[in-house]
Amino acid sequence: MRELLPALIGLLAVAATSSLAGCQGNPSGQDADSAGDDEGLPGCEAIEPGPSPIRRLTRVEYNNTIYQLLGDSSQPANAFPPDEVAGSFDNQAAALVVSPLLAENYESAAEQLAITHAPGLMDQLPACAGGAPDPASCSADAEAFIRSFGKRAYRRPLTEDEVSAHIDLFITGTGLGESSYDPAVGVETVMQAMLQSPHFLYRVEFGAQDVAPSGEDIVPLTSYELASRLSYLLWNTMPDAALFEAADADELQTKAQIEAQARRMMDTPRAREAVKNFHRQWLGLGRIETHIAANGKSPEIYPDYGPYLLSLWRRETEAFIDDAVFEQDANVEVLFTANYTMMNKQLAFFYGVTGPTTDEFERVELDPSKYAGFLTHAGLLALYAMPDRSSPIHRGKFVREVLLCQSPPPPPDVIPKPPSVDDTQTTRDQFIEHAENPLCAGCHRLMDPLGFGFEHFDGIGRYRETEWGLAIDASGELLETDNDGPYNGVVELANKLATSEQVKSCVASQWFQFGYGRAPTSEDACSMQEIEADFADSDYDIKELVIALTLTDAFRYRHVNAAQEAP
Amino acid sequence: MSNRKNHRLSRRTVLRGLGGATIALPLLDAMRSDTAYAGADSPKRLIIMYTPNGTVPVNFWPAGSGPDFELSPILTPLAAHKQDLLVIGGLDMLSSLKGPGDAHQKGTGGCLTGTPLLEGNFAGDGGQSAGWAGGISLDQAVANHLGKDTPFASLELGVAVQDPANVGARISYRGAGQPLPPENSPYAAYQRLFGDSIADPLAVERRAARRRAVLDAVNDEHRALRSRLGGEDREKLENHLSAVEEIRNRLDESVITFGGECQPLDQGELLDPNVVANMPFMGKLQIDLMAMAMACDITRVGTIMWTRSVANHVFSFVDPKITEGHHSIAHKGDEDAPKIAQNTAINAWYAEQLAYLITKLKAIPEGDGTVFDNTVILWTNEQAKGNNHSRFDMPYVLAGSAGGYFKTGRYLTRPDMPQVPHNKLLVSLLQAMGVETDSFGDPEFDTGPLSGLT
Repeated sequence: MRELLPALIGLLAVAATSSLAGCQGNPSGQDADSAGDDEGLPGCEAIEPGPSPIRRLTRVEYNNTIYQLLGDSSQPANAFPPDEVAGSFDNQAAALVVSPLLAENYESAAEQLAITHAPGLMDQLPACAGGAPDPASCSADAEAFIRSFGKRAYRRPLTEDEVSAHIDLFITGTGLGESSYDPAVGVETVMQAMLQSPHFLYRVEFGAQDVAPSGEDIVPLTSYELASRLSYLLWNTMPDAALFEAADADELQTKAQIEAQARRMMDTPRAREAVKNFHRQWLGLGRIETHIAANGKSPEIYPDYGPYLLSLWRRETEAFIDDAVFEQDANVEVLFTANYTMMNKQLAFFYGVTGPTTDEFERVELDPSKYAGFLTHAGLLALYAMPDRSSPIHRGKFVREVLLCQSPPPPPDVIPKPPSVDDTQTTRDQFIEHAENPLCAGCHRLMDPLGFGFEHFDGIGRYRETEWGLAIDASGELLETDNDGPYNGVVELANKLATSEQVKSCVASQWFQFGYGRAPTSEDACSMQEIEADFADSDYDIKELVIALTLTDAFRYRHVNAAQEAP
Repeated sequence: MSNRKNHRLSRRTVLRGLGGATIALPLLDAMRSDTAYAGADSPKRLIIMYTPNGTVPVNFWPAGSGPDFELSPILTPLAAHKQDLLVIGGLDMLSSLKGPGDAHQKGTGGCLTGTPLLEGNFAGDGGQSAGWAGGISLDQAVANHLGKDTPFASLELGVAVQDPANVGARISYRGAGQPLPPENSPYAAYQRLFGDSIADPLAVERRAARRRAVLDAVNDEHRALRSRLGGEDREKLENHLSAVEEIRNRLDESVITFGGECQPLDQGELLDPNVVANMPFMGKLQIDLMAMAMACDITRVGTIMWTRSVANHVFSFVDPKITEGHHSIAHKGDEDAPKIAQNTAINAWYAEQLAYLITKLKAIPEGDGTVFDNTVILWTNEQAKGNNHSRFDMPYVLAGSAGGYFKTGRYLTRPDMPQVPHNKLLVSLLQAMGVETDSFGDPEFDTGPLSGLT
């Protein structure tokens, strides 16, 4: 208790979670869906956007953007170094850096993409065709190309300086081909440069500075900047034609305009991919393949395990969440408690259930006394397990850290000898010292009693009635949460988590981090409250939570860049 | 060996003079020809090998002291090179006892930087969190000094360094908050170093001409944007810009001439670098590549990061009885004899890899001796002891004398001081490499070099 309190307080201060829940209602009775710009929570009248760090494209965003920009599905960013991960996410502005290695990768990718796509784009430069084009008319076509392609690459119209710099580069490029005047090489060099431009690789924002009264530090974003914020939040990619049109007309300024776009976007397959991306990272689904493959599973103990299962396991959880959120309109509680999942033929064979007969994932009803939402999916249970057994500690730590947004205190500097492994005991019994030795109990009481609930699932996530023929005790207890108390088995644990306000606040704060590319700060208290209030008003609908992210001060405004003189 | 020299002619100048792509190839070859070094001095080289999760001190430290020492179980695989070793006891990673982060994070970020970590959002144990390391790393400080003469200032290789990419997975820093990622794939690294040298020269030259034009334009845009930003955004652009400038400058030296010991590598069958069971094979390929990079003088500074901090790789290839991950095993109590034996075997396996690297470097002739004679290798860890996270008495081994600078073949025990910051060792290595400095890392440990090494 003594040790957990600072962690809890830290969490509440940073993420504005459960303790704020009590005072976050909607006393004024205002309709959270109302489109006016003047509504707000008490004490939140002043606009406060929090920090808006410059955001580098992640590998996923780069691949998606290249696909939108060039129709290229080669996913060149898969060859880049992995994105730096802070918190649970790979899109946190402060952690993302550009090393020389990554800069080289940007160069190679830009080069390859330009070589591949420049020939096809030459149709847009008709005056450059033929054996001996007139350089002046060809350059005029090149200018038009630079303006149109550049606007999509930079996600805003180019400045006149940028246009003329790229025309110069085009002309230089025409002299670098095999023939003395090669317009296709000119287009290649322009594309190579644009794809390495900071305006392509980063989401650069200055805000509509001219709107702010003089001396004002907070400015609304331009409609182009908002189009990018919307598209990278909801789609993890660049704006589509409709967003560009809205930005051209400067119609991404009011809450109503933004919300209308967000709702349109939420209703598309790409939004489903972004929601999938969130859950893949938040729950660690992306690690199922890499981490389990790295160490494997013991072939003696788990002869039915094979590496072919790994992507199926990940896809099961992704398909389940996708179906629940977008097909069933399920709220976040259902993700924990649903008594169905999604399987295909191979996965059904692994689980030993009948139903699916094809490679496609389809809905399979499960025994509600044994299974509960994503918590009993094999991939997560196998991820939070050892190669040769389950691991109540890792599973409990997952629940505590990932689902409850709490951190157990650090282990002591001197760690006592752990219990020795004994095949005549259940896994649970082998860790009895964690409860009996006061040195262990301080931390492990916060993890093990959450992990014991999963003991009916072995190291590859399959249900078991017994372990080594011994009876399984899957009882445990929630401690130091907003919904404390004993439970027996994963279904009861799932119900306690599903009805926990703390879990919902945790989900909201994780979405804040994923959506805004940074952790909440004290300046974000009002934005955070607004998000949580909208989430609660929608009965914890994930889609509404994402929409709510687009309507806050943190999303619509920014502090002006503190520009300095160049050295 | 084949030494790459500074060009007497700037390739860029020649190209401009000849109008870009029409350049004739024989002239390129002339520029690339090998010439002897101006002086008798061979270039010095620094290689750093990082392994995680602490060692098993009781099985690591030699018996005896000074020139009369007996190798320990963990160091026994280095027996053939005993006279080339300096085993250094009694150093404490004091900079990693300060600042934000958990023990593993601080030890990893600080092992080569000698700094505390920055504040940040990388989750550590027990709700602690930290950012990247707070300063430049030893290898990069040396690279700043030696790297101007080679196409790559430094080479960062990894062996099964797993995600997530965070402070526990990086040891090299160009500066505070500027980590360099290790390349896990020896195949990708080979392409990066030798790709231009094994490709069609005319195509390489044509591509380089376009790259110059493009990167000049990209540089201009970075500069213009940088001047409009402030604070951390500006720093971020600054770092990106310097990376672009680095690859721009390297364009003039991207082709090396094979000859002598500098030869293309046959990397054999393509295997997955991220699978733990492939570690022995990937480690060998990375060491081969590092040695070849030195033989070809592509770089003089390298790091090989074996896995990462808190890595839980299962070393069943060392012993089939090992079924638990390295980090879990490292946390077992001192009385758990079977697990201590396993952890000893893992660390001895790492010593074997170091021995292989030494053997490779000794096989490359240079002057009257070998490349190894002019090299020093530092074997570092982020901790001394895995089961209590101690960062006192760090298990440091130097191999190689850096051209006679270090007096090897000795085991140095703790000097007569209660606490000795490891920054002293970093300073000594900088001085060995010709960097004139008396301090490195956190100014609190501004204490000069370690005595008794030279």
